[in-house]
Amino acid sequence: MVTICCLMVLLSGYLLCLSFTGPKAPATPVTFVVPAGWPQPLYDFKQNPLTTQGIALGRKLFYDGRLSKDGNFACAACHQQFAAFATYDHNVSHGFNNSFTRRNAPGLFNLAWQKDFMWDGGINHLDVQPLAPITDTLEMAENIDTVLNKLRADTAYVRMFSAAFGDEKINTLRMTKALSQFMLTMVSANSKYDRVMRGEDSFNLPQRLGYEIFQKKCVACHAPPLFTDLTYRNTGLSVDPYLNDMGRMRITRKPEDSLKFKVPSLRNVVLTFPYGHDGRFYNLMDVFEHYRGGVVAGSTTDALVKNKIPLSNFEIGQLKAFMYTLTDSVFLKDPVFSPPGYENRTPLAPGEHLHRYQY
Amino acid sequence: MKTKNEPLVKLTTLKTRWFALLCGLICSVPCLGQLTQNRETGNMLKLTFNNVVAGKPLALRQDYTNSFGETYSVIKFRYYITQIQMIDSSNMSVQFFPDDYFLIDAGDSSTRTLNIPLSLKRLSYLSFLVGVDSVANVSGTQQGALDPANGMFWAWNTGYVMAKLQGISPAAKSPAHGFTFDVGGFKPGENAARKIEFVLNPTTKKSKAIHSIVFNVDVDKWFNGTHPIKLAEHPGCHEPGALAMQLADNYQTMFSIESTAK
Ligand code: HEC
Ligand code: HEC
Repeated sequence: MVTICCLMVLLSGYLLCLSFTGPKAPATPVTFVVPAGWPQPLYDFKQNPLTTQGIALGRKLFYDGRLSKDGNFACAACHQQFAAFATYDHNVSHGFNNSFTRRNAPGLFNLAWQKDFMWDGGINHLDVQPLAPITDTLEMAENIDTVLNKLRADTAYVRMFSAAFGDEKINTLRMTKALSQFMLTMVSANSKYDRVMRGEDSFNLPQRLGYEIFQKKCVACHAPPLFTDLTYRNTGLSVDPYLNDMGRMRITRKPEDSLKFKVPSLRNVVLTFPYGHDGRFYNLMDVFEHYRGGVVAGSTTDALVKNKIPLSNFEIGQLKAFMYTLTDSVFLKDPVFSPPGYENRTPLAPGEHLHRYQY
Repeated sequence: MKTKNEPLVKLTTLKTRWFALLCGLICSVPCLGQLTQNRETGNMLKLTFNNVVAGKPLALRQDYTNSFGETYSVIKFRYYITQIQMIDSSNMSVQFFPDDYFLIDAGDSSTRTLNIPLSLKRLSYLSFLVGVDSVANVSGTQQGALDPANGMFWAWNTGYVMAKLQGISPAAKSPAHGFTFDVGGFKPGENAARKIEFVLNPTTKKSKAIHSIVFNVDVDKWFNGTHPIKLAEHPGCHEPGALAMQLADNYQTMFSIESTAK
């Protein structure tokens, strides 16, 4: 009798165990490579170890319109590879139902070194970042449960979640960790500037002069290697009465943070136009004009720009030449970041308008 | 990770079949030592949260009147109960559950009872947090009760809504007279989590330990628990800060013990 009981328990245990674990190969670990001379990343990879399968899943999610309500707005609709994952040539991005976002979409790269996200730093962890666009009515306008149910209904996703995380469960945690994995691999550290710093290339004269001006007038905020010191600063942009965007103060509720925005990276800057948190500057010239003439000094305006930054036309020309050395053409064309299935095709050209692309 | 509410997740991460077999065996014994919401097992302390208004069970979408004479009805009422701690002061033994998170939802009666494994001989002190500790607010996506899909999470300004009261009041000067108190904030100076403590009547030597506590959770306290908060003046709270802190002080007073049982 006892033996039979034991056997029954064993059997039930075994059946249970079968339903949990198939004979599955574990996901393949991927090592995150820190470019030589860069600081250690801030992202805690121990909590979300990179794997080939996790990255592949994140990539599929990033390019999937089903994360939005009407199927049109994948992450990639606003974050386009040829624009270093900013929205090409848009001051603000289009979202659900002909709405516009309130801010300019920044390029996405080197996210592993960022502590806070968004222009105002309101988001404190990369993993929870996708929840903002997914649920924002001006962007993807979807709710998390509906997105998860769409994914659960797709056998391709069931397989990919299982390969990445060991079983078929699809939840918010796994979806967002996979998106993080893909975004974390977007490291941009192969511009001409980087090659020059590594001693593999050299600046031409205007680039070198521009670099020297940059070192004097810009580097305090746009500090290499990230070309941002990740602080929040008011650079004297006048308040847009329609947007009435108070920046960092919205998050900290401290008056001293009024009109401060995160210093943006200048890597790939030539491609991420228009510029500024609301995309008000259409080209680099507009930005330089702002620094040398347009600064509106208020109580929180940064001391470094309060009295404007003197820039001669000549200096602007040199600075511009230097800005071009920050373009990482390897990153912009790297097939590992292209839509899944597009590995062997050239990425869409900037002229091709992306809003209605379905991948 | 952060929650223990989902024992099966852990199992699936184990690599070998033998381990799984072992776990299967353990699982056939009803989840030992696991905190559960609405499930009775073993030597447990049962906590029941009765949502009430003025001593009567809260009925959603029914009219009540607060102490300022404002009529209101409740559509949603939800709060996190976390960091449960129990002490037996006779021998200073402590039980603490820092990683267990429960979301009580007035719209789902199955969430109203929590069962906690009890190893103390006598229960002389109980405390819990209304809200979510700051570590869970800065550690990325969580699952279980803390899954952002539960709608208790601010996406644009990362952080959990510790407690939420949403309803309709003719006094509220807002579209369709709706009011929404989403109370959150975890940074120093604006932390809306509140610790609730109860010193329990130490039982006499021969009597058994307390095994069940029923709390009354009075919604009306949101308006006048410590600070007077009129719906006519405050139809909404959607971010951390001064109003959230006042609402938190108010909901700190909403718990009282209705009864205990051995
Ligand atoms: C409708 C356009 C749109 C869509 C769709 C969109 N984003 Fe964004 N994204 C933006 C804008 C605009 C910002 C800047 C918002 C701000 O700062 O307030 C942004 C910011 C970000 C940032 C922060 C970058 C930084 O440096 O701080 C990340 C990361 C990001 N998006 C990832 C995603 C992911 C992942 C998705 C898909 C789940 C997505 N985005 C979908 C427009 C979009
Ligand atoms: C006081 C710190 C500071 C200094 C000094 C500074 N910047 Fe900036 N820069 C910022 C901030 C902050 C922004 C974003 C402003 C906003 O949108 O509100 C910005 C934006 C930019 C942008 C637009 C980038 C984008 O993607 O939108 C460019 C280009 C730029 N700066 C170039 C320069 C150059 C060139 C110099 C030196 C002449 C310089 N900056 C000096 C802080 C600074």
